[in-house]
Amino acid sequence: MDLATIGGQLLGTIPLGDIVLYLTPFNLFMFGGTLAFTTLIAISRTETQVEAEFGTLKDKEVKVNLEEFKIRRFLAIVCGLATAGAMITGDLFNFTLFVTLIGIVNIGIVSAVRQVDVLNAAFQYGLIAMMASLPLFGGAAVLLASTGTLSLLEIVKLPYVTSMMTFGSLLLLMGIIGETGVAPFYATKAEMFRTPGSPFILIIHLSSLLVIVRAIEVLLIINKPF
Amino acid sequence: MNLMLNILLNVIIAFLLGSLLFGLQRKVMARIQKRPGPPIIQHLLHTLKFYIKESSFPKTAAMPFYIAIASILCVIWVSAVIVGPVAQGSLLLIFAIYALHKIVEHNAGSSSGSPYGKLSCVRAVFSAAAEVPLFAVLIIIFLKTRTMVISDIIAYQAQNGALLFTIPLAALMFFVLILSKAPYSPFAITKGKDIISGYETEHFGLLRGYLMISESIAWYMLLWIFLTVFLGPLSLLGYLVGMVVISVIVAFINATTPMLNPNHSIMVQVTMAFIGIVGSIILLML
Repeated sequence: MDLATIGGQLLGTIPLGDIVLYLTPFNLFMFGGTLAFTTLIAISRTETQVEAEFGTLKDKEVKVNLEEFKIRRFLAIVCGLATAGAMITGDLFNFTLFVTLIGIVNIGIVSAVRQVDVLNAAFQYGLIAMMASLPLFGGAAVLLASTGTLSLLEIVKLPYVTSMMTFGSLLLLMGIIGETGVAPFYATKAEMFRTPGSPFILIIHLSSLLVIVRAIEVLLIINKPF
Repeated sequence: MNLMLNILLNVIIAFLLGSLLFGLQRKVMARIQKRPGPPIIQHLLHTLKFYIKESSFPKTAAMPFYIAIASILCVIWVSAVIVGPVAQGSLLLIFAIYALHKIVEHNAGSSSGSPYGKLSCVRAVFSAAAEVPLFAVLIIIFLKTRTMVISDIIAYQAQNGALLFTIPLAALMFFVLILSKAPYSPFAITKGKDIISGYETEHFGLLRGYLMISESIAWYMLLWIFLTVFLGPLSLLGYLVGMVVISVIVAFINATTPMLNPNHSIMVQVTMAFIGIVGSIILLML
């Protein structure tokens, strides 16, 4: 199988020791898109949510205070950079580290909010994310043991797929699903998104969806269906 | 043809045809409901109108995020035109573009501070859980054709016949995705009239113009992808007829089906995605 059949023509590689980043139009688009959104988040203010009050005709304004704003913006930028890294890395261990970092900062972005429902949702998501780190790293370890390498550029060249490689990639998928909180763990994330701070919420959603899209590429590379 | 000219031409075609197909859809829906309905060019005129209207911004909005997000939606779908009809690049890249579209749809709602936009934002998060698996059905195409590159998929169909007949469940799943992006669709929960105009509620003037242009291009692109990857090499007339037929079918469904409750909408879509993926894999193994 050739990398070009998945993400388009290989435009180049960036070797950093034994960690090699590679660029196809697919990886480059997601990397650039993530950096653009991260820059936007870094320079944006947060919105003020206007809610109706029961029993009166007044409105209630829900704002993000300055201290909360600073820490959430910092975590959102870290999340953006981790997502960008996960988009172009060609090293499986690197990829799992970036995904774990995304899980950690996502919890941080939401847990800075002082709303009970949101904190409950963040707590549940945190539990899933913590549990998911075991299959995530376990999957990468099984793949290393069964292929002798963590480099996707080397794995794609292997002429065989063993059952341990498939098992390792299934563990990896379980880990990614848990860390990014996608379906069936999405319901708690929808609760988390009720909080004010639209730019910070964006990065939680962005990181989840883009990591899942990248995971499809990674799993196809490992399992080589033909 | 010069590349820039090619891109410009394709974007203009996507916008004009997408707008007219939306107009046609409203006309067909109106006739089914025994109303005269607006003229077919109404959606196009409506879009252009917003460019000469005054732009105003809510004082509660997250600036400059609120302005940028509407513009980014336009950039995203122009990128899809470049990857699709112009370059015939990777289908996975279009999948990534669709994922970014869901993110922008979600944040266009929340960035204004409006409670209607916020509800639409939460529904967009819900709907992403269903629409992304539906889009993932395109992986079935990879398993069948052994490539994600659109030009290679077209070549495969030229040799082996249309994929619509070999992986029909995958085509059905993609059709459900198209249906969910149509206005007044049973799955259009992000723009339900119970939340005014959903994420578009607080966008006026130029920004609404950007959103409407993006919607038209998105509609054209989804139809283009469906026709290209499931029906193979088509002439310009083939594309035109195919787009009109799908838009009319969608209009029939929309005119006769009420909008589903958000939870029901997601469950129906997720169930269809599950049936599509598992069923297609079984069909491929037979």
